[in-house]
Amino acid sequence: MNQTSLKTRMLEAFRKRMYVFFISVSSIFAILVLQLINLQLVQGKEYSLKAQMNMENNIPIPAARGEIYDRDFQRGVSGTVLVSNRPSFNLTMVPKNFESEAAMIEVLERLRPLIGFDLQNTLADIKKGNPWERYLLKDDVSFDVIVKIASHKNIYPNIHWEDAPIRVYNYSDVMAHVIGYTGSLNKEEYNVLKDQGYKYYQTIGKIGIEKQYDAHLRGEDGFIRRIVDVRNRVEGEEIGKSPTGGNNIVLTIDYEVQAAAHDALEGSSGAVMVLKASTGEIIAMVSRPGYDPNEIISKENSGIIRELNSNPSKPFLNRTIQSRYPPASTFKIVTSIAALETEKTYPEKTYYCPGKYTLKGYVDTDFYCFKTHGTLDLYWALGKSCSVYFYNLGMAVGPTMIMKYASYMGLDELTKVDIPGEIAGFIPSQRWKLKTFGQPWFDGDTINMSIGQGFLAVTPIALANMMCGIVNNGIVYKTHLVKEIYTPDNRTVLQSSKKEKLREVPLSPVTLNTIKQGMRYSVQGGTSGWLSRLKVPAAGKTGTAQTRSNRKENFSQHAWFLGFAPYSDQPSENTIVVCVFIEFGQWGASAAAPVAERVFAKLIEQGYFREYSQQGNLNVQQIK
Amino acid sequence: MFGRDIFGKMDIILIGAVFVAVAFGIMMIYSAGFDPVEQINKGLYKKQIIWFIIGIIFMTMMSIFNYRQLGDYSLYIYGFVIFIVLITTVFGRPIRGTSAWLSFGFFSIQPSEFMKLAVVIVLAKYLELRERDIKNFRELLIPTMFVLVPVLIILKQPDFGTAAIFIPVLFTMLFMGGADVSHLVSIILIAIIALVFPMMYTYWEWAGYKGSSIIVQMFVHLDVLFTISGVLLFIAVSTFIMHFFFNQSFLRKIYIPATVISLGLMMSVVIHKWFKEYQKKRILVFLNPDLDPHGSGYNIIQSKVAIGSGGFFGKGFLQGTQTQLGFLPEKTSDFIFPVIAEELGFAGAIIAIALLGVIIYRGMEIALGTRDKFGALLATGITAILFFHILINIGMVIGIMPVTGLPLCFFSYGGSNLFMVMISVGILNNISMNRSLY
Repeated sequence: MNQTSLKTRMLEAFRKRMYVFFISVSSIFAILVLQLINLQLVQGKEYSLKAQMNMENNIPIPAARGEIYDRDFQRGVSGTVLVSNRPSFNLTMVPKNFESEAAMIEVLERLRPLIGFDLQNTLADIKKGNPWERYLLKDDVSFDVIVKIASHKNIYPNIHWEDAPIRVYNYSDVMAHVIGYTGSLNKEEYNVLKDQGYKYYQTIGKIGIEKQYDAHLRGEDGFIRRIVDVRNRVEGEEIGKSPTGGNNIVLTIDYEVQAAAHDALEGSSGAVMVLKASTGEIIAMVSRPGYDPNEIISKENSGIIRELNSNPSKPFLNRTIQSRYPPASTFKIVTSIAALETEKTYPEKTYYCPGKYTLKGYVDTDFYCFKTHGTLDLYWALGKSCSVYFYNLGMAVGPTMIMKYASYMGLDELTKVDIPGEIAGFIPSQRWKLKTFGQPWFDGDTINMSIGQGFLAVTPIALANMMCGIVNNGIVYKTHLVKEIYTPDNRTVLQSSKKEKLREVPLSPVTLNTIKQGMRYSVQGGTSGWLSRLKVPAAGKTGTAQTRSNRKENFSQHAWFLGFAPYSDQPSENTIVVCVFIEFGQWGASAAAPVAERVFAKLIEQGYFREYSQQGNLNVQQIK
Repeated sequence: MFGRDIFGKMDIILIGAVFVAVAFGIMMIYSAGFDPVEQINKGLYKKQIIWFIIGIIFMTMMSIFNYRQLGDYSLYIYGFVIFIVLITTVFGRPIRGTSAWLSFGFFSIQPSEFMKLAVVIVLAKYLELRERDIKNFRELLIPTMFVLVPVLIILKQPDFGTAAIFIPVLFTMLFMGGADVSHLVSIILIAIIALVFPMMYTYWEWAGYKGSSIIVQMFVHLDVLFTISGVLLFIAVSTFIMHFFFNQSFLRKIYIPATVISLGLMMSVVIHKWFKEYQKKRILVFLNPDLDPHGSGYNIIQSKVAIGSGGFFGKGFLQGTQTQLGFLPEKTSDFIFPVIAEELGFAGAIIAIALLGVIIYRGMEIALGTRDKFGALLATGITAILFFHILINIGMVIGIMPVTGLPLCFFSYGGSNLFMVMISVGILNNISMNRSLY
């Protein structure tokens, strides 16, 4: 009896504890279900997004960069294509897609005769990277090779390819400094540009037009939506967004003139600027030595930039806008303007040139002319480039006014050309000299400055633009390289550049006429005689700059030429200004003027002075 | 015994739920084993069907004899399985770093799965025999030893998950066997104090916790800690002795907590000193996978993404991106539940949980339904094994339990686990069929 009751009591205790166990189990099941509700129903959307991110691996489709044409472009009918793109492919792979390293090496071995690469280096390179990430096996692979790989996917498993159009610079170094080149974004550029939608893998214009107009040229990348598994193997793909090509750009450059100027500078370091005075359009902008942008963008040539940078002749330097030199006798124009405008002289005023000028002082100093000119007026002083005349003139005007007019003429200002890198020229001042050398301004400095020597330094583009100002009766336009911007299909003009006034210098008609006439004399019977053979009346001024260079002997002088055609006493729509600079060219008359002559000849051939020919002075048809 | 009788008395609810669950599992193993790249199935589901058929034979065999014989032979069964597990641990060739597998050429088994059953059988028998004395603290020692021996062997393999499941099963059985609740709570508290304090210290140090905290200070000044635990121990011992002279219950209220705190603190120092820094970090990562998002945390993140992205109705059978594209690890075995939740959504997951709930509930009912103590405890133990598997596995994949490699009973691929589960169901069925005998 007792036995049974004990057993009953124990069973009762067991029953009670089972209830506790049952409640615990039920609560735990409830917690599991609650968390399930939380994950699937409450946070379901978030996790769906994460699942999508897991399996989607978007591959960018690079947009074709806009093409660049020269000024004669007429919607694909004529004109020269300066920069285009050619199709190319990148071969890529994800190392972890292969079952084993041996399998990967086997495939690479089979691929090697097709594209050619160093297996050991490639393997070492692969080991360095993340094996789950896309590895660029080879860039610039031809379409034929891709076809072979695509039709034998079983032989080349896990090898992928992507579109990667390559920029083609059709005229290599002729256009190099104007157009520039592209390259991968570096870290600094990325940090600045990422807010504007640039991606780290994109290319960007590094210099020149490519940089300045990158926003137009780059277009918009598309992407392929790829479904991948955990090993990054592709399960399926579709086009997520098609790429939009970049806008096409028409330059103001005339390729024929550019090439002629480029050829004319063959073998020397120097620069040629050809400007249309009435608009500020740049017809040619040549700097030599140059480089081939195609070599720079080629990935096989990684050392080329360093190599070019260490080249003592500085091929990267755009000498038209990025370097400044003493203007030498071309500056006599400024001295004349200063003297005439301040009414310190008049055109018919004569000085006698005995071959030298003696500056009286504690010790007399002689300043020489390159020859004995005898008695000259201002026209012929400009024409024959007589230094003694300008020593006298400079002394008569005084340094302050020369500096002031040099500045009025914009020699120490930017021409605001639409490519990056332009520097301004330099005009000294008394205060500057005191600060830099601890010396006051001497009369000797004035004499040097009046013929463009000494501390003065100008860029060829600024000098050319000053000439435009004189031709335009004092109005100076902003220089520019881009004429029009078209949509990718070349059907619609998005933007077309208008002339933009940079400044206006009020110069008297007497001043303008005197300068133009003097420069005309220079061609007719002075230092610019080379140009007298042209079928268009030209005017010019040569310059020969002595330098403080270490390279002495014969080549210690830079050669300048600054001129325009056709000569006219009134501003004309068609006036073209040419500025030639040759480093260590020795004499302006013999080195720079012939270059200018070839450029003008090409301009005539291209029909730039057709209006003049209609007046009967020139028959363009005959010349062509 | 045979014939109409056995099928007539069969526990239809239990066995019905089990069959549906295993079939459901095989379907999901089919989905998880499908390789969308090569358009073939690795065929694990076929193997699981074979294991299931063999399992049904085991289940039937376990249903048709007097289950009390298991109790009679419990020590032999226990000793035999311990021996096999020991041999496996010593001679087994490691698979993924664990020597838990005994290979027979064309197939291998995991003896530690059967260790769970052997332990439950021996505990049920022992607790039946000691029914009246179990309130005595000393009586807890032998059951603990029965569990500790296989746990230590399995830890040596090392198989943390399998070893871990013995502890809650032991406590459940002791509780259901009538042990004093205060004893059980004391043991649990000592373990918690001993573990939590050094872990918090390591965690704060790891997470770069600055400033003074009592716990940090305690481990800096170990002498203070020892003094505190010494004083507490002295109080505990003296009140315990006084307890013999003045049998007053308030003394019990002093010496039990004093002993618990004192022993806990002392053991916390031991753990703090003995365990290497990386070992403690490993335990921390085990407790909180988010601390190591690239290691074990990765699996849990992917698992949660799979479950969460399933939504209410799921992405469809064979359509789960996490499953089919391989982001989900171990998807046929430990992570089968996320496959269900991703492809069949909340609806499918709830059906799976409901099936498991029915089985567990039926196990408890069977334990209550028999007047035979051994049968009741055996049914409780088996139910506990199944339940803690479910808790640890689902808790892990939904991110509220530590990461342990335990399969989800009935659903996960794996012969040994399925055999163990089917044998368990057979025993439950046996107890259910024979409940009227006692």
